[in-house]
Amino acid sequence: MRTLSAAEKAHIIDRMSHSIVHTHLQGICLENIDGEELTLKLPYRKELVGNPETGAIHGGALTVLLDHTLGTAGICCDQIEPTITPTLDLRIDHLGVAPAGKDIFAVARIYKVTRRVLFAEGFAYCESRDKPIAKATGSWVLMPELRLSDLLLSTEAAAQQ
Amino acid sequence: MTLSDLIHHEPSASTLQRWLKKVPYATYLGISAEVHGNEILFILPEDEKLIGNPTLPAIHGGVVGAFMEQAAAFHLIAKMDNPVLPKIIDFSLDYLRPARLRDTYAQCTLTRQGRFIANVSITAWQEQSDKPTAIARAHFLIPEREADKAPAKFAGGFTG
Repeated sequence: MRTLSAAEKAHIIDRMSHSIVHTHLQGICLENIDGEELTLKLPYRKELVGNPETGAIHGGALTVLLDHTLGTAGICCDQIEPTITPTLDLRIDHLGVAPAGKDIFAVARIYKVTRRVLFAEGFAYCESRDKPIAKATGSWVLMPELRLSDLLLSTEAAAQQ
Repeated sequence: MTLSDLIHHEPSASTLQRWLKKVPYATYLGISAEVHGNEILFILPEDEKLIGNPTLPAIHGGVVGAFMEQAAAFHLIAKMDNPVLPKIIDFSLDYLRPARLRDTYAQCTLTRQGRFIANVSITAWQEQSDKPTAIARAHFLIPEREADKAPAKFAGGFTG
């Protein structure tokens, strides 16, 4: 199996992010690809606030970002073909508070691949990678029969209608 | 009136609705709540902006998690004798079925409330409550209020 270049991975992730309504509306976008490590960005918006008294982002908005980033990290994994991977489970440790007004970055990678399961880990931070505000770990079901190209084609066809 | 003030009101359907309105993200997701006797039912209405898989179509799994976390927090506040705003410590979520593009419901159980920590379990479903879409467990930190911060008496170990 050929290893995709960072530019090819970025192209697939970019097309995916346009086809997934919710994360597209949230403005979640590609920040960086470093080998098999993926970084996505969630721009700060007032509607994401969970604590109206501090302006801190809702833990649930972090759940969306981390679920999405760890799941999408499968595209950057060189051991498998790009595919759709439903989340099996996800665990998030909230280590700090996302300060009001700051964009949030999520970093993820697949650390183990089996025939049917991808194990992923990642974290979210605001200002420094060394100060994560949340850590995440989870497993994703590997379903090669769900072809990513079909998803991308079907959404592009719908967009043209 | 701030959310901290509002949570001291009796947790009826209308006060829960006022709490939810104070949280911008809960308002954005469109979460509402109903009270049936002792039970609180949280509702995430069907909305195309929540789609995470356009081919099924299905609601983004992260959104289902976010909804369940918000439900757990307000369920906990509603069951507290002296309500304070809890802080999420960790959240563990098992996805059981895709969340289709329709209304999603959540109900919570306060499994254990200690002095500092609460454990809340959450079930989310769509058409049938016995076919859950996802189950989750959240731990919350219950911040000490200033009035409660009396100096602890050291009893010489944990025997007392």
